[in-house]
Amino acid sequence: MEKVLTARIGKKDSRSIDTYLADGGYAGVKRVLTGGMTPEQVIEEVKKANVRGRGGAGFSAGVKWSFLPKDTKGKPIYLLCNADESEPGTFKDRLLMENDPHQLIEGMILASYAIKCRNAYIYIRGEFYDGARILDKALEEAHAKGYLGEKILGSGFSLDITVHRGAGAYICGEETGLIESIEGKRGQPRIKPPFPAVSGAFAAPTIVNNVETLCCVKHVIDRGAEWFLKIGRNEKNAGPKLYCISGHVNRPGVYEAAMGLPLKDLIFGADYAQGMKGGKKIKAVIPGGASAPMLTAADIDDCPLDFDGVAAKGSMLGSAAIVVINEDACIVDVAKNLSKFFSHESCGQCTPCREGTPWLYKVLTRIEAGEGRMEDIDLLSRICNQMANGMTICVFADAAIAPPLSSVTKFRAEYEHHVTHKRCMVGARAGELVTA
Amino acid sequence: MSSTPNTPSTAPPPPAPPPKDTFTVSFDGKAIEVPKNVNLIDAAKLAGVDIPHFCYHPRLSVVGQCRMCLVEIEGMPKIQAACTVPLKDGLSVKTTTEKVRSARAATMEFLLINHPLDCPICDQAGECALQDNSFGYGNQLSRFDETKRQYPTFDRTMIGPHVVADMTRCIQCTRCIRFTQEIAGTSELTFLDRGGRTLVWTHDGQPLANDWSGCAADVCPVGALTTREFRFRSRVWYLQKTPSVCPGCNVGCNVSIESKDGVVYRFLPRLNPPVNDYWLCDYGRFLSEPLNDRDVLKATVREGSAVRETTVPAAVDRIAREIRSTLGGKGPGAAFFLGSAHLSNEENFLLRKIADHVGSSNRDAIVDRSRPRRIKSKTVWVEGDHAGANFRGAKDMGLFPGAGGHGLDAVLAGKASPEVIVIADAAFSAIADDPEKVAALRRARFLAVAARNANALTRAADVVLPAASLAEKEGTFTNVQGRVQKFDRAFLPKPPIRAAWEHLLLLALALGFGDRSWTPHDLLRQIAAEVPDYAGIKEEELEGGRLLKKGDFAWAGRP
Repeated sequence: MEKVLTARIGKKDSRSIDTYLADGGYAGVKRVLTGGMTPEQVIEEVKKANVRGRGGAGFSAGVKWSFLPKDTKGKPIYLLCNADESEPGTFKDRLLMENDPHQLIEGMILASYAIKCRNAYIYIRGEFYDGARILDKALEEAHAKGYLGEKILGSGFSLDITVHRGAGAYICGEETGLIESIEGKRGQPRIKPPFPAVSGAFAAPTIVNNVETLCCVKHVIDRGAEWFLKIGRNEKNAGPKLYCISGHVNRPGVYEAAMGLPLKDLIFGADYAQGMKGGKKIKAVIPGGASAPMLTAADIDDCPLDFDGVAAKGSMLGSAAIVVINEDACIVDVAKNLSKFFSHESCGQCTPCREGTPWLYKVLTRIEAGEGRMEDIDLLSRICNQMANGMTICVFADAAIAPPLSSVTKFRAEYEHHVTHKRCMVGARAGELVTA
Repeated sequence: MSSTPNTPSTAPPPPAPPPKDTFTVSFDGKAIEVPKNVNLIDAAKLAGVDIPHFCYHPRLSVVGQCRMCLVEIEGMPKIQAACTVPLKDGLSVKTTTEKVRSARAATMEFLLINHPLDCPICDQAGECALQDNSFGYGNQLSRFDETKRQYPTFDRTMIGPHVVADMTRCIQCTRCIRFTQEIAGTSELTFLDRGGRTLVWTHDGQPLANDWSGCAADVCPVGALTTREFRFRSRVWYLQKTPSVCPGCNVGCNVSIESKDGVVYRFLPRLNPPVNDYWLCDYGRFLSEPLNDRDVLKATVREGSAVRETTVPAAVDRIAREIRSTLGGKGPGAAFFLGSAHLSNEENFLLRKIADHVGSSNRDAIVDRSRPRRIKSKTVWVEGDHAGANFRGAKDMGLFPGAGGHGLDAVLAGKASPEVIVIADAAFSAIADDPEKVAALRRARFLAVAARNANALTRAADVVLPAASLAEKEGTFTNVQGRVQKFDRAFLPKPPIRAAWEHLLLLALALGFGDRSWTPHDLLRQIAAEVPDYAGIKEEELEGGRLLKKGDFAWAGRP
């Protein structure tokens, strides 16, 4: 596939507005704003292209935009770009922002025009210091060239974009947690309804879109929904997609491909990760970031990497962060490590998540240290099952249970081995007593 | 908008059905009409269905985070937190399904894994939502076998002048935080850290020192916030709850006097939405403690330079004799009667009747101005600025100078010189401890007072009667809003101590009027018949408040 989102990445000065303009950048903004398309037509086109949210939920951006009330009762509409990329294994938005910031800005201008937003924000993960600096510079350039500010290109449309740096909480990537944070409050997800499109940031109608999603918008407007829909496995899973692959592979990184790239190709393809490091066997694959249930080696052969393809395997594409785990890794250790992350990042407001995530971590730590009992294995799944599915305000708990629940289900023998033998079944430490 | 004038249509439209101001909601198959603006948890209460909860509070914003109020809603696949479900017509709620039962048991298990299971040494035991809901909805056994979370340096710490915080007991419901943000408006409390390490504390160590800080402990459903004054003084199940009215100022907040064996242990606010709602200010709350103070235990009379103990009837007879002696001599103007904002309407009424009986126009009630004390009713802030709960009532009962009569100012200024002064409450004002003012009163030939505590006035008086405290009597107060509020007796005073109305009734009888069988109830009936603004008041209609438990998780339905 021809590179779309990453086409300019790697080129000299890809961050500067001059090279962006030379490559035909902002042509879409020019065309649309000077009478090319009405806001409604932009929404219609994005809806038609079925741009599914690249942040993880896979919800159609155009449909989301159409949830905005027709009459906002004098309130402004906000566009918030979710650049709080913190899902373990995910590093695609960072690439886009740091290397081609104008692509995102153009996408945001088009989206803002469509939803009639006057002030938009980029909520960027606090650790992305470079990204924030690069975006600030790019916004300055866009202002200077008249693509941002009052009456852009002589049209009636005005827009300012502000970069807001987060303070280091994973939960602020959840859209209502992000909204709370941008309002200056603790990053805690809100009760829904009301949904952000009705009452979001500062109680005004708000749209939150992921970086990659907004970049896709630019290309949909440039080249049309028809073109977009032709990329990919089917019309429900279309468009260019960035895949982040990490773990025990030869060439980890971000790869762009048509939506629906077979998982096997991503791991073994010459254009992609080029196979397992040291020729080891695959034990498990996490297909969509830490929140996605693990797949086993058997799932890999026929798994198209798109929203519906991964869902059919009982997991989710999420942020398309594929973590490949080889045969030497102790799955109990993997689950324990991921549980530590979730226990650390729970916001703490809902009882099941606040109390359940550290409990899972404590039990996993005990099992991993060879101090587990056989009943602990079932206890893990029971704790998981009473944390999710409506037990909490947001889906953080549903994400937090994915690693322990899926690993207990799919790799139970390893857990049992840890309990009965007090040592790992596989890996570098196999055979070695883990208990003191 | 159309500017076309209305033209009569050919066929009159059918009359529109009156808009319904209720929703029909069903709980476990039982349909009920509920007001549109109530929360689902309260709607369930109206249907007699108990939905357990911790973080929900009727006056605080809905946060839906304790996850205890889980129910099933028809048409929604996932279990829902009842407090967050918008009420609408036709909602069908299920609270007894296996899914609901196990979800609530799950939340209870999560809440208890890190909570100390040491109820016997926790001050909240007996009025603890966690304890009650655990019995009602939890599993008996926990599967948690790890080390419980500890909060070194955040346990058993004073975070303000009244409130003790113990984070090991906190269930992170945020009611206290929301109270300081949304009711007090002072925002002293906040969440610190996150996840399993989340704790409630003050910002940067600033104290929780607003005027209503005790309410933060009230709304706490567990033993995480308690008040220094009550903590570990009594197990709550031994306490008797008596509906009363705070004596602190003329707002007249409804309180529950919590007492045992003739000792008052604490005040809790008693729910009364138009007055104090769920709240009580710290000043009023801790007036419960001085209620136990007493140093006037017997009636005394002065004979020459000596003070001699006597019986109450003998002391009252002496007062009656002195009053009568003025009647023949210098005429009715020679006796002066002073009521008090601390006395009930019934007592002030009886005092005024005595003055009328002896034909004296010299009568008064005065009150000290206090700094403004505010309490948030359901809708507005109510402000009181007078010490004493019943200034308005005292005036309503006629305790102001009659035609040709004199008030206290004139007596203190020496413009009037009554021969006999009867003061029905020695604590009527700071004046009673001011030597100069007392000397002015002492110019009378005979000075009689009823008192609970000794002060300059009792030391100067010729007769002192031992008077009951607020907890030891019943009656009504009229607050700044003009609301007549009833208070009950928590326990009987120890003889020979009597309520002021009993002293006054004895005096009336000695002066030749009244009926030995009169009680405050009879006096209230007389007030209703004689005082214009009080016409038709019925005692049984004065029940303004409802008893609350600390934590008020069972605010409706259960006592």
